[in-house]
Amino acid sequence: MTAPLHDSAGETATVDVTADMPAKDIEGRSPGRIAWTRLKRDKVALIGGVVVILLILVAVFAPFIVGLLGHPPNEFHENLLDPDLGTPKGSFGGINSDFLLGVEPTNGRDVFSRIVYGSRISLLVAFLAACVSVVLGSILGSVAGFFGGWVDAVISRVMDLLLAFPQLLFTIALVSVVPNSLWGLSGSGVRMGVLIVVIGFFGWPYIGRIVRGQTMSLREREYVEAARSLGAGRVYILFKELLPNLVAPILVYSTLIIPTNILSEAALSFLGAGVKPPTASWGKMLSDAINTYQADPTYMVVPGIAIFITVLAFNLFGDGLRDALDPKGS
Amino acid sequence: MLVYILRRLLNVVIMLVVVSMVTFGIFFMVPKITGSDPALLYAGRTTDKVAIEGIRKKMGLDKPITTQYGLFLKGVVAGRDYDAGPDTTHCPAPCFGYSFKNEQPVWQDLKDKVPVTLSLASGASILWLLGGVATGVISALRRRTLLDRATMITALAGVSLPIYFTGLVSSAIFVYSLGWLDTINYPDGGLASDPGGWLNAMILPWITLAFLFAATYARLTRATMLEILGEDYIRTARAKGLTESVVIRKHALRSTLTPIITVFGLDLGALLGGAVLTETTFSLPGLGKAAVDAISTGDLPVIMGVTMIAAFFVVMANLVVDLLYAVVDPRVRLT
Amino acid sequence: MNSSRKAVALAAVVAALSLTATACGGGGSDNKTSTKGAGYDAATTGKVLNASTKKGGTLKLMSPQDVDFLDPARSYYGFVWNIQRLYVRQLLTYDSKPGEAGTKLVPDLAETLPVLSNGGKTYTFKIKKGVKFEDGTAITSKDIKYGIERVFAQDVLSGGPTYLINVLDQGQKYPGPYKDKDPNKLGLKSVLTPDDQTIVFNLKQPNSDFSYLMAISDSSPVPMAKDDGAKYTNHPVATGPYKVASFKPGKETVFERNPNWDPKTDKVHTGLPDKVTFTVTSNPDDMDQRLLSGDVDYAVDGTGVQQAAKIKILQDPKYKANADDPFTGYIRYFAFPQTVAPFDNIECRKAVIYAADPKSLQTARGGPSSGDLGANMLPPGVPGSDKSYDPWGLTAGKPQLDKARAALKACGKPNGFKTTIAVRSNKKPEVATAESLQASLKAINVDVQIAQYDGKNSSSEIGSPTNVKKKGYGIIVMGWGADYNSGAGFLQPLVDGSFILPNGNNNYTMLNDKTVNGLFAQAAAAKTPEEAAPIYGQVNKAIMEKALYLPINFDKALVYRNPRLTNVFYNESMGRLDLAVLGVAK
Repeated sequence: MTAPLHDSAGETATVDVTADMPAKDIEGRSPGRIAWTRLKRDKVALIGGVVVILLILVAVFAPFIVGLLGHPPNEFHENLLDPDLGTPKGSFGGINSDFLLGVEPTNGRDVFSRIVYGSRISLLVAFLAACVSVVLGSILGSVAGFFGGWVDAVISRVMDLLLAFPQLLFTIALVSVVPNSLWGLSGSGVRMGVLIVVIGFFGWPYIGRIVRGQTMSLREREYVEAARSLGAGRVYILFKELLPNLVAPILVYSTLIIPTNILSEAALSFLGAGVKPPTASWGKMLSDAINTYQADPTYMVVPGIAIFITVLAFNLFGDGLRDALDPKGS
Repeated sequence: MLVYILRRLLNVVIMLVVVSMVTFGIFFMVPKITGSDPALLYAGRTTDKVAIEGIRKKMGLDKPITTQYGLFLKGVVAGRDYDAGPDTTHCPAPCFGYSFKNEQPVWQDLKDKVPVTLSLASGASILWLLGGVATGVISALRRRTLLDRATMITALAGVSLPIYFTGLVSSAIFVYSLGWLDTINYPDGGLASDPGGWLNAMILPWITLAFLFAATYARLTRATMLEILGEDYIRTARAKGLTESVVIRKHALRSTLTPIITVFGLDLGALLGGAVLTETTFSLPGLGKAAVDAISTGDLPVIMGVTMIAAFFVVMANLVVDLLYAVVDPRVRLT
Repeated sequence: MNSSRKAVALAAVVAALSLTATACGGGGSDNKTSTKGAGYDAATTGKVLNASTKKGGTLKLMSPQDVDFLDPARSYYGFVWNIQRLYVRQLLTYDSKPGEAGTKLVPDLAETLPVLSNGGKTYTFKIKKGVKFEDGTAITSKDIKYGIERVFAQDVLSGGPTYLINVLDQGQKYPGPYKDKDPNKLGLKSVLTPDDQTIVFNLKQPNSDFSYLMAISDSSPVPMAKDDGAKYTNHPVATGPYKVASFKPGKETVFERNPNWDPKTDKVHTGLPDKVTFTVTSNPDDMDQRLLSGDVDYAVDGTGVQQAAKIKILQDPKYKANADDPFTGYIRYFAFPQTVAPFDNIECRKAVIYAADPKSLQTARGGPSSGDLGANMLPPGVPGSDKSYDPWGLTAGKPQLDKARAALKACGKPNGFKTTIAVRSNKKPEVATAESLQASLKAINVDVQIAQYDGKNSSSEIGSPTNVKKKGYGIIVMGWGADYNSGAGFLQPLVDGSFILPNGNNNYTMLNDKTVNGLFAQAAAAKTPEEAAPIYGQVNKAIMEKALYLPINFDKALVYRNPRLTNVFYNESMGRLDLAVLGVAK
């Protein structure tokens, strides 16, 4: 199978999957290699991957980018606002060559800078919350699936219970009572910590269910049987034999849980339970825009599109990854 | 079958009790941890000691948490009486509590909010079920065509759009720019009292919510359909010489519906407990908005009430889905 | 009895005897020069717009917030006190006149203003003949006493102000009528009802503010036979021009004519509309839309239109002519608790005041239509206020960085310091002002953290001095409006040392200064409000010079009035259109 050569960004995007793959494509193909070949053919997924990488770069180099193209994110520019109305002067939310995405109503902060800095919150919360979900979900899910019996019953009921909870309401309520300093953190750090823990915690059953199902089918396979007959302990089998084979589905679902987490973070910020001011957050910008969107739609559209692009990119990439890793795919 | 249903119902009850215990624990213990006094919240601007003591007694906050929880459960099952000065106020079952903000049983208040959420969830679910499944089936049948690609990318875009964004954009366009709709205001009394106002209030929420869900359903339908079209029995059916449309309608579609029903039941259950974001975005006075408002005013009985209703819908949806399974998919046997 | 109660009782002594003199003037005989055609801000100019005596029509009120309680003993929202002008009357009330006259008390259920005796410690009221409850029974002194006694039953009827308890309990620990051992349930010893037309209040000390207390809703009469305690709020018995015809919590209240209200007994309320509806909306934008289209008459909550409608109104002369920008009686400010270092040092406080950007703070609150730049702590309308008094040069509208740096040096922190602003998370303009101050203070190297707390927890967050100290809240953002229109009513809870409370404290700066406390006592002992007024001016100066507060603005709200409204003016005692006389033309 010949695959057209892709740009380097595409390769970086899938570095996790292909890290241990040889560079030449002849001879016997491992599942990882097949997946990589498939992924390379999926242009849409690759575009998603490229955008994801760009976004990560933007988040990492936010201070540099803002220094080059924007103004400090918390700097006020009230001279750019209509003094009576508090909305930006000029059309399209005050977009010009100096303020690339316009300025914020009521204080004139640079929307471009705040979008750039906001990506840090979105991505960081989403990634770390995904880690929490993945760790909890993989361990508890595989334990439930592997041991079965009452262990499975208890963990499964806990998962059902968590899914039956109105999570959004819980999170809002919890966040509203969290003190301003906690775990040695203060300010926005506390809120981010809480968001990560809560979003991650409510997310693990989704991964847990999948891992449990996979484990249940894997534990009946011959190689597990073989390990068992060789006298391997249960814990050894679980962590050395089973978990490595669960890496692919876990990887796919963690890629797909990230966009969900981005939306959760934005939703919580939208409902006032996100990071604290003056820290920039996309969801918070949207909720602020509610007051002025009829007069200044730009300020609503910009963060909305930022969320949209980010979530879409992750979804496209995650989807492509899933298709590529699917053994039944062609 | 009957034994199964009974066992599952028992399960539902246990689940609800656990949910109520956890909710109760969290919302009644958290103020203790953070050092804020719920009685003080109810007192508002008053800091009179007698008032605060009175509130504490009326809400039962002076009793140990287990007693408080016991009273709560009793209230839900059998109703409760509250001191009202010269005599008492009766809060009939299901008594989720008594809102001292407006001297009303919480249920009285929430009862009026259920139809709003119901209108939203039912209308939107019909739209997304029809739209999503149809799109998914067409996409699966026209696999790898331009149409398929375009539909799936649109669907993915749909999943990636936050509802509070599509909601705002759609009201900015249809209400404020084009003026095709009036500003959204759910009429008191709902459909029965003012059908036009009801429709005006529901149509944008329906469409935006349905768009979000239709996207998920289209993707799910397509994936399931493709998997099923590859199954042996479909090949057998085709080999029997059945026409393609019969194969699709009689065989493939039916199997495709099984996972759809699962997801649909769960989604609908979750929505009936309050579509927090949609209701907040469109200012619809449903359960979700009530809960958000209650959280911001610290109205614990209302939070309790909504959580219980929401959990009830979710676990009931779970049960109904499992029962429906048996009907749709003959392979499933309930034991 | 805690010290705070004594303090209120002791301190709330403002020029009583004189009230008679001022109010007998009847509220400035005739500034009722009516204006037609209105214009922007025309209803705040001390004139009556569209004066009319024409009856009929339905007055449609709307609000995004429901009433707190219809029970007069339990209501505390300012707009509800305005709504209560429709259906309950008290012995005294604020006159329904524009301009300063509206801040004066006039007799309502009482025949005249009270007769004072016993060195100003005994207040005697004679009740008008012919005043009736909605069921036709006559209102007697006992009904008024019973209504006042209900306030003492705080364990059942919480929510309303408790000034009456502070003044009338006098150590007897009266538990309220429901636990009263007196067979007639009239056991409150400090209030006597020698006959059905006479009610006598015996105070411990002379207290001129007492007349103001008689005008608050919780002094309304309640018939004992109809009182069912906590449930009374669902069906209060009317004494005013209207009665509550229906009450659906969270939705709608309808007021219809009270057939037993006799206009001959009433010089304040006119009761022009046939019906008044109060609707609660879940969508403030929709409410604004209805206001502008003429579907609704008045957004009775009085907090002003939302941003979208504000822009429409200010840009369209047609709408602007029907809008007003009245003072709401509120002041918005930052307070610096002296218990939190380095704000124990006046120079550090001055540094923050000088570094602030008043114009930016005003913009954060919503621009000039949201309030005038504030420079001191006594808002216009309160006797003794002087809007032009500006000790820190705030009305120039610019940060004064040189002075700020000098003050910082004098404070011993030339390289700046770190502090925390406490702000209610649910008040967007307050968060915006906190962000503005944070940005401004960066210029003098003062590093500010914004700590948000849930507004519902105010009384235990910023209202608890121990909590403020523990969490290091060096700056607190707040707003304040008085319950009654006197200098003491406004300033005393904020700056009198004896008003410091362990919970629900309003004296955030923890000021306990002999001079200031002494000035309040002096004002209380003054004979007339006029005589007391300059003393409040001195209090204002004393606290401003201590640099304890950074005033943001004297709060205004952009309010739209339906052009069909008649008798339109802002009653200065509450900063709202006066529902006692508001009518509608067809």
